[in-house]
Parts: sequence; C-alpha cells; structure tokens
Amino acid sequence: MASIPLLQLQHVSRTLAGRRVVDDVNFVLDRGHVLGLLGVNGAGKSTTLRMIAGVLAPSAGVLRFDGTDLADTPEATRCGLGYLPERAPLYPELRVEEYLVFCAKLHGLRGRAARIATDAALTRCGLGDVRRRLLGNLSKGYQQRAGIAAAIVHAPALIVLDEPASGLDPLQSSELRTLIRELGREHAVILSTHQLSDVAACCDRVAILHAGRLRHDAPLAPAHATLHVRVERSPDPAAWSALAPVADARADGAGWSVTLKPDASAADLSAAIVARGWGLLELRAEADDLERTFLRIASAAEARAA
Amino acid sequence: MSLLLARLEWKRQFAQPLAWVLLAVLLALLAYFFLLSLDAYLRLMPKLAGTPSAPGVTDLIALPLLRACASVLLLVAPLIGMRTIASERQAGTFALLAASGMGDGAIVRGKWLGVVALLAVFIALALALPLSLEVGTALDLGRLAAAALGLLLFAAALAAIAVAASAYTEQPIVAAVVALASNLILWMADAGARYEGMESGFINYLALPTHLEPFLHGLVASVDVIYFLLLIGVALTLAARRLGVARRHA
Repeated sequence: MASIPLLQLQHVSRTLAGRRVVDDVNFVLDRGHVLGLLGVNGAGKSTTLRMIAGVLAPSAGVLRFDGTDLADTPEATRCGLGYLPERAPLYPELRVEEYLVFCAKLHGLRGRAARIATDAALTRCGLGDVRRRLLGNLSKGYQQRAGIAAAIVHAPALIVLDEPASGLDPLQSSELRTLIRELGREHAVILSTHQLSDVAACCDRVAILHAGRLRHDAPLAPAHATLHVRVERSPDPAAWSALAPVADARADGAGWSVTLKPDASAADLSAAIVARGWGLLELRAEADDLERTFLRIASAAEARAA
Repeated sequence: MSLLLARLEWKRQFAQPLAWVLLAVLLALLAYFFLLSLDAYLRLMPKLAGTPSAPGVTDLIALPLLRACASVLLLVAPLIGMRTIASERQAGTFALLAASGMGDGAIVRGKWLGVVALLAVFIALALALPLSLEVGTALDLGRLAAAALGLLLFAAALAAIAVAASAYTEQPIVAAVVALASNLILWMADAGARYEGMESGFINYLALPTHLEPFLHGLVASVDVIYFLLLIGVALTLAARRLGVARRHA
C-alpha cells in the first residue's frame, strides 16, 4: 500500500479581489523533506502558504494533510502544523517565554509538557538569554527567531516558513539555515524565499511559482558540482584532469570552470590545488542550474507579457 | 481554548495603559458622583426620618450610582473591545490564531470572555463604593445583587457587540465608533415610543433600558435574562461568521 503523503495540494487555486493569485497548483510533500518555494515578489508564494496554514481557504481545489482535507479538519490536525507568516505574529506586550508557552498551549500542549517544549524551542532558536525580555523590545533578528520558535514549539510534522530570513544579519541567516536543515531531518519543511542561496543551502527539493502557477518542481541538484577557479600559475587542461577530485575542466575567461567528481568536495579540490603549488586565488560555486532555471522562468514570463 | 485566549486577552489589556487609565478615570468620576449623592442624602435625612416608607440608602445612593455605571459602560465597552480582533488582523498576529485551527467560534468567545472579565472588574469596583456604606447602615443586599447581575449581563452584551464590530474591520477606531453607535441605538431605541406613551410594544422589547431597569429594582425576570443572552448570541455568531467569510473571500 502506498503511504499517504504528509501534504498534498490538488488543483489548488485562490482568487483575491478578482485576481487569480494562485492558479491550479499541485504538489506533494513527505516527511523528512525540505521544499524551497521560490518566486519573484507577487508570484503567489505567501498566498499558497497561507492556504496550507489554514489562514485562507482555497477558492478551488483540495489541500490534504496526512490524508484528510484541511478544510474540514479540526484542531487535532492543525496541531501537526507550524506556521511562520511573513510578519512574525508576535504580541509586543508579552515576554518571550510567556509567548512561547501560549503558543504551545494554543496547539494543545498542557502544563509541564508546554514548559518543556518552550525550553526546548528557546534553546533551539538561541533565545535563552532573552527569555524574560518583552517581545516588543527585541531586535528584528530576535523577533524573527521568536517567530520561528513559535512555529516549531509544538514539534509539528509540517513546518511552514514564509521568508524566515528576512531581517536577519548574515550570521543569523547562516544559523537559520543550519536550524532548517536540522528540522528537515525530523519534520517536513516548506520554506518560501526569494534568496536562491537559501534554497541551495537547505532544501532538497525546489518548486518555482510564477504568476500563481507552479512552473518547476524537482529535486535540487547537488550543490557546488561545478566550481569557478582562478589560480596564479595556470596549468593546461590535462594537468587539471590529473587532479583526483576533478572530472572535467575548461578554460573560462579569466579562470577555469571545474566539474567535480560525484564524491569530491570543494575542500578536496582546494587542497589538491594548494598541494600542486598553483597559487589558488579564487574558488566559488558557479551560477548553478537553479539560478538558470529561475531566471529562465522569470524572463520567459516577462517576454510573454511584453 | 477560549479560556486560554481570554487569559491572554486579559494579560494584554493590563500590559497596556488603556485599561488602567480607563479604570482610574471612570472610578474617580463614579467616586465623585457617589460623594455628591451621599452628601445630598445626609442633607435630606432629617426630612426622610419623618416620612413613612421613605426611600433608603439603596434607592438614593446605590441605584443612581449603578445607573450611572451603566451609562459609562455604554462608552467603555467599545473602547475596551475595539482592538480585540481588529488590531490582531492589523498587526498580523491573527494568523497565529487562525493557523492554530481553534475555530472562529472559539476565537470570538475567547476575545469576548477577556473583555467581559475586564468589565466585570470595573463593575465590581463600582459596586464597592455603595457597599462601603454597609459599615454604617443597612443596605438592601438582595437588590444590590440583582442589580450587579443585571449590570454584568448588560456589560456582557455590550462586550459582544464590541467584539462583533471589531471582527468587521481592521481599524480599531472604526470598530469603536460602530460599537458605540450600536449601543446608543439600542439604548435609545424606544425613547420616541415612550414619549408617545407606548410602554410594552416590540420596540420597547428591543431597547436595552427596558431590560436593565427591572434588575436595578431587584427584579430578576427570565425575559430580561433571555434578552441579554440573545443579544450576546447574535453578536458572537455574527462575529464568527465574519471571520469565516474573511477566510474564504478576503
């Protein structure tokens, strides 16, 4: 018997003020997967996520959570769902800890269980130091973390995050990516963003929405398969191929475009180059398939509109 | 779930200055009113002493005060209730409640209970003023209890109207104005009819004072209790329906 997917969208559409914002979207998400939902502003990402979270009802189509229709499932099912909207839903008059206890209770946890869950979420999101501070007095970064903590405090099976990285500094964004990867191991996560790098760093599947339609839905190709390398003393292609991690190398303007073997990493390549004494100047991931796909979809739609 | 939300509402109301300022200012006004009527009563007392079945302290001090308290509630309930749902939608925190799946009815009931609790505190404090006279004289406690129950039902109905108004808009101030207008219409619905001498028509049944007055006279009638419960039921149902409509058509 085929197992029931955790989340299933079937022909989901939504009209807002006479405009079709989400148009016939279909996809399936299972536990243990992180889905990156990409799209330009106004592509319909937030509306799709709001429907999954139950804040909006779809105009047409069905959303199934664990096999049951979200439209007619009561509290019990929704407790399996954690949602961080675009603007974190914080009550500025509450203390961080108070707020998280409230969120835990709102999702059915009681007494001691709510306390334990709150402590776990505080630690997980790095909020231990500010647990007694008022939410309204926190910096944007901490507020965003409190919002994420509220979405995961009841350990839901599905976590829906709408642009969680907005307002975070680079260090916090990197911590957030680590957190999302961690969450993705036990839960299913949907992450909406317009940062391609976020998707590349923490998702194993990517869906691209454009003008309300799902234009792309595929597993993410392994990152950093192709690297752009610049060295001081340029060797010839044959010398590149002699390096253990390299599958293929082509001269590419000022540097080299190097494709790695499947089991090799960028670290292996840099070690090999340094060992040869070629003088490594630059090593970065090339604009990958994801970016090309994204730009192709966005620009094709623009060309049609023109 | 509703109780959880009501507790949050209560906590948030007291974390903000509005509730404190309102309670302080209104109690000061009621206390002034109380002292004036006490003074008037003391001047009148020698004359009353000679009159058989003269009105007592309860009639001359406590009930006018509670009647004033009812008029004040007409203004306070919209101010306390205006933000309940409107400001949550404005600030985006409503998504947290909507996504929790607690249901529109439970959200509305929770918000309403929070407002009722706060108005109950106000009524209790207002009642404490005449009750303090119990030290020196005998009050008609049965009548005061009936009046307190009536005021509480009255406040609960006004709270339901305020929460419903709050569900229909994202602007708290608009909610306050709509709730205040509804309160005043219900308060004065039969003013014209009474002027013409009509005392027991349908229009009289609709008006709030028709059902509050018997309580103040110590009369707890089921028709009045049912009126307030109906008003609460209709307002909360409208509010919950509005939230459902917003989910589907916003």
